[in-house]
Amino acid sequence: MAIGTILRTIKQAVWLGWKVETNWADPVVFAIYYLIKPVAGLLIVGFIFLIGSVVSGAVNPELFMFLFIGNSFFIYVVQIMMTMTMLIHEDRAHYEVLKHIYLTPGSLQWYIVGRALNGVMNASVSLLLTLGLGVAVFQYGLGIPIQIDWLNIDFGLLSLTLLLGIVCFMAIGFILCGINIMTSKVQFMLNEYVSGTLYLFGGVVFLPELLPQWGQHISNALPITYFLRIVRFSFLHQGSFDVQMNLLYLVATMIATILVGLAVFKVAMFKARRDGLIDKKEEY
Amino acid sequence: MKREELVHNLKVAYARLWVRLKGGYREPEWLVAELVIPVITLSAYVFLYKMVNAPPEYAGFVIIGGTMMAFWANVLWGMSAQFYWEKEVGNLEVYLVAPISRMAILLGMAIGGFVNTVLRAVAIFIAGILIFQVPIAIYEPLTALLIFFLTIGALYALGMMFASLFMLYGREAWHTASLLQEPIQFLSGTYFPTTSQVVPYMVQLLSSLIPLTFGLDGIRKVAILGQGISDVWLNIIALVVFIVVLLPLARLALNFMENLGKKEGRLTLRWQ
Repeated sequence: MAIGTILRTIKQAVWLGWKVETNWADPVVFAIYYLIKPVAGLLIVGFIFLIGSVVSGAVNPELFMFLFIGNSFFIYVVQIMMTMTMLIHEDRAHYEVLKHIYLTPGSLQWYIVGRALNGVMNASVSLLLTLGLGVAVFQYGLGIPIQIDWLNIDFGLLSLTLLLGIVCFMAIGFILCGINIMTSKVQFMLNEYVSGTLYLFGGVVFLPELLPQWGQHISNALPITYFLRIVRFSFLHQGSFDVQMNLLYLVATMIATILVGLAVFKVAMFKARRDGLIDKKEEY
Repeated sequence: MKREELVHNLKVAYARLWVRLKGGYREPEWLVAELVIPVITLSAYVFLYKMVNAPPEYAGFVIIGGTMMAFWANVLWGMSAQFYWEKEVGNLEVYLVAPISRMAILLGMAIGGFVNTVLRAVAIFIAGILIFQVPIAIYEPLTALLIFFLTIGALYALGMMFASLFMLYGREAWHTASLLQEPIQFLSGTYFPTTSQVVPYMVQLLSSLIPLTFGLDGIRKVAILGQGISDVWLNIIALVVFIVVLLPLARLALNFMENLGKKEGRLTLRWQ
């Protein structure tokens, strides 16, 4: 397919995704929505940490930084999974446009990429707002030192990690799109299963070393684990951290995820076309 | 209300309850998801308490919170947002033209939703207790049950009130219901005690506007900390006040929003 067609498809999909995500409310309400949810999520884990630490007699700022960064950047997983699991259901059963998109010259795959990129955009806005408000609440409101030198962040490494991580999460999203096209009414739970599993095993708010041995094996096989480790390093520059090895693991798990994601999606689309599932109607 | 009318509306409630019960078990994959997904989330918070060496009863707080969250989720998605779904599938107009009380429909939904959720909640509670070896210290089971049922009553009354709002909503219904999850979990202290000195006064003040806060606090005291009715009588009074205030408000709100919807022609509007 010509590059121009691909880019045009992605651009239109991003624009469409933006409209679908935002035009239900005026900009202020929309901004509040995108701020409140992630901030409330951060406040929940922040207060669990604080209350637990105070009761046990010691507040460890380094552990707080661990969960602060982990929970904030987990928004990319939440947004991409949410966008990509709801996409097939909404376009096929609710708005009944999936068949039209399928018929257009631009590939459905690139349309999905565009919609996912819209989720990435929203996640980035939420991330910035969450980091800002998180610092205001925890550092200035509750007195926990946020040990980040904002001028000394390794932006190069952070950008590279974000790029690799986002590609990886989108590949997981393609697996979910494939499952959704072959099934119906499982989109809500799929999103929760995947996000929940990554949250529990990915070392998001607690050290994966606390997991039982089998849980640590799962953690080591997940790209989110390496993604968050490198993101934390780009902010905190811990001396004993092996960046190259973690990058290598991230790239390896990313390649594996892409291969599985594309394979599942291709098989699913083949079966969907064969079984007449592309315009399947549900409850609407 | 005449006896005949009362019987008629009880039949309506039963009919809606039956649909809810039947629907709750029609898709087994949902049943599994509603048991497994909360346990995954709870586990992360229990591990977080472990990371900071908090005492084991804090894991119990998380389990209780997660258990009660099953009811809040049911209130939000199964009660509040239900009229939005009904509108989308074309049932709302049928409800509105039928010679029945809207409150009877909501009552049926509430009881059906409660029965469905209680089985899931018990399973989450038992799984959490067994997996994380949480110490349980219930010395007054009747007090625990009283607080539990009062909390449920207050939550579903709140859900009935929200249902009137959602009746007019378009796509914002989805976002609003979604918005009422994490912020309510935070404010009500689902996973931590809001009475802790660490929690700022303003947050405690806001949390006291939510019935779930009093319910969770009471149940934790009775089920985990081994306290009795003399320690939770304020929680009981607060929950009774919530029920007494919210139920008539729900009825008023429902009538008001229905009339508004008729004037603005939004009761049968779909695909917003």
